[in-house]
Amino acid sequence: MENVERQTVVKVNKLCKRYSKKAELAIKDVSFDCFAGEIVGLLGHNGAGKSTTLKCIEGMLPFESGEVSICGYDIKKEPLKAKANMGFVTDNHAVFIKMTGIEYISLMATIYNVPNDVREERLKKLEDIFQLGDAIHNLISSYSHGMRQKVCMMASLIHEPMLWILDEPMTGLDPRTMRAVREFMREYAESGHCIIFSSHALSSVAMICDRVVLIRKGHQISDINIKELMQQDPDFDFEEYFLKSETDDSEDASANGDGEQEGTDEK
Amino acid sequence: MKSNGGSVLKALMKKSRLERIYPFRRGNFDVIGFIIKIALTAAIIALFVVFFDKFADMYLSLETNWQLDIPTRSFELLTMLYGAVIVFMVVSGISQISREIFGADDVKMFSAMPVGSGALFGSKLISIYLGQFIVSIAITLSINLTLGIRILAGWQFYVVTAVICLLLPLITIAISSLLVIPYYRLKLLLKDRFVINFIIVSALLGVMFYLYAIVLDAIKQLLLGGSLKYFFDDKVMATIATMCKYLYPSRWIAGALMSAFETESWLGLILVTAACITLALVMIRLVLMRAMQSRNEGSDRSIRKHSGVSKGNNVFVALLKKEFLHIFRTPSYMFSCFSVAIIMPLMVYFCMTVASSLVQNLVGLEFNLELAVFLTILFGSLTNIFCATNISRDGYMFYVVKGFPISSKTVFLSKVVLCAIVTALSQLTSAILVSAMGYIPWYSGIFLFVVGMLFGLANILVATRYDFDHANFSTEDDGEIKESSNAVSVIILIGLVMSFTVGGAIFAFKAITQLRGANLEYMTYLLAGGLAVLFAALASVYMILGLKRKYYEFEGGNI
Repeated sequence: MENVERQTVVKVNKLCKRYSKKAELAIKDVSFDCFAGEIVGLLGHNGAGKSTTLKCIEGMLPFESGEVSICGYDIKKEPLKAKANMGFVTDNHAVFIKMTGIEYISLMATIYNVPNDVREERLKKLEDIFQLGDAIHNLISSYSHGMRQKVCMMASLIHEPMLWILDEPMTGLDPRTMRAVREFMREYAESGHCIIFSSHALSSVAMICDRVVLIRKGHQISDINIKELMQQDPDFDFEEYFLKSETDDSEDASANGDGEQEGTDEK
Repeated sequence: MKSNGGSVLKALMKKSRLERIYPFRRGNFDVIGFIIKIALTAAIIALFVVFFDKFADMYLSLETNWQLDIPTRSFELLTMLYGAVIVFMVVSGISQISREIFGADDVKMFSAMPVGSGALFGSKLISIYLGQFIVSIAITLSINLTLGIRILAGWQFYVVTAVICLLLPLITIAISSLLVIPYYRLKLLLKDRFVINFIIVSALLGVMFYLYAIVLDAIKQLLLGGSLKYFFDDKVMATIATMCKYLYPSRWIAGALMSAFETESWLGLILVTAACITLALVMIRLVLMRAMQSRNEGSDRSIRKHSGVSKGNNVFVALLKKEFLHIFRTPSYMFSCFSVAIIMPLMVYFCMTVASSLVQNLVGLEFNLELAVFLTILFGSLTNIFCATNISRDGYMFYVVKGFPISSKTVFLSKVVLCAIVTALSQLTSAILVSAMGYIPWYSGIFLFVVGMLFGLANILVATRYDFDHANFSTEDDGEIKESSNAVSVIILIGLVMSFTVGGAIFAFKAITQLRGANLEYMTYLLAGGLAVLFAALASVYMILGLKRKYYEFEGGNI
């Protein structure tokens, strides 16, 4: 393990969230840190609590207990400062569909206070990566899912955030764009930024991530450095590891009589 | 394997039922809003029944060739009314079919499943039929019971009424499904042509309101001692008789009601129903299925000139622009917000022309300023009903905006300020129009604007906060709200209570003081002004109380 001090971008400490008073906890005691220059994957099956965790970090959802801080700013105490340091893409490609792509990106540039003199240059760079072409001048309501995903990514990057959060980022993208996005993610992290993304696609996670946080039924079951493991053991099979950790967890749960329902009721 | 229509219908009905009871299941059903919605609908029906009864009383007593002819007058009345009802139900049917076929997301979903398009469309039509059947019951019973009691109709009249309740939606939906394609093509033609859309819709609304003013004038005549009778001279009655002779199929409905065993009417009704259904089925097979599939392919038309990223720095202004574009580029929102706001001064003016002389004749005193204040508050409230969707309109994007570094104050202020600008322009035009036409002096015009603005602001604030506390996001792909929520009914009620309380207070005060010989005109200014400030202050407190905390803890919207 490197002994060099790294900048902590995200600090999640004992995060708990439930959707209604009567409901079970959708996520319970999730804790992890993310550092500059790192890509962290949030992995789990459908309904495990990945999106809920991300939405709590983004400030979209309130949470019962625990702490979340972005670049040292607590999301509850200093929400505006915390949010100014991140860009995010939701799992359902949510965007103002009655705006054109360029209007939406301009809105984001204004909201995140991007200096006027760098806007065009950044937009051009993003256009080269995401290849939206002339469609950027059309109403977003006429876009396909993949195009919406692209415009969401472009808008979330216009202010070059320290933290980039992506919820199921590869959904709806064509193979060429998928590769471009993967390459860009690596490049973006290497330039000192931090990326957190959720997925249940093991191949994507294994290919891109430095670290993986596994979540199951709202519980964090492990936080592993996948790159280190791969370096130590060239035959390391991530799929096998993931499936084994799931089985171990369920055996533990039945041994402890833990009959917790899935009840995540994710938004 | 293909599913049959019955199981698709069952699935659709279950889906629609579950969507309706979803707030119940989540335990955040807006009971008060729902009760108010039902009460308002009942009040509208009651108001219609009262006016219709009064009109029917006058119309049935009309004589032709110095003779009373109640059966013929009843026939004419029913023919004209059912003509209007058919037009209303066809228009609403077109809009519903268009929404269900070309707008609903479940069609996309079902299209990808082994579900026959005929069965899918058929099951959609049946669920629309059930909705229209309820409307048909409400309308038919209001008309027929009122008239039936007045003309002492026999049991046959009521049996035929029940049959008409079932048949009417069948005829109107069949006609609607024939007209839905031209309507859809027109919609596509106007799609993304927002300015043309805006002009056409506003002009149509203006014409409609002009016609409404004519009806209001007729009601005034009616209230001023039955002089409306003289409107129905021999020439007018002959025109009505000719019109009723050719007004199919409503004359068959009227014929069957007035003479249950008349073969011609029944034959006509059965034939027209069968013909409409057959034609509709052919149309569905030939055209609608193709149109439904083409809708799934989507469009990709550029609507804007190519421009670079904009240079704005002000977040508030950017949000204001976003809010404007969202409303302006969604036809139903544009209509409810901008078109209604443009027409509002005309509403005030038309009603002022009718009510000014009416009040003077009835009471013998001049109440122009009081009337202007009352009408301004009333129509201002109705214009601001749109604000009851200020939060729900955003749908899931409301959550996304929470993730942006924007304060709750800026988010809400951008919504309130846009509504306030629209209200200000509307109120200003209204005040100028009423003063320019000489109903009130210029300084009262300024007062009218200020008072109207304060009440408008109160409306906007209450509507926005109420919608925030009871947000109901659309689950459709486009996020557009297609049905009015309980919040809308609550805001209508608040608007009505506010305008009648203020209007009633200033009318009563002026009447009492003038009858006692005192001329305390300044009291109208004091009373209306004071109440306006009070309402605006109370609304501001309601709006900001706990807003910041609730914004960060927001988890509503029923999605």
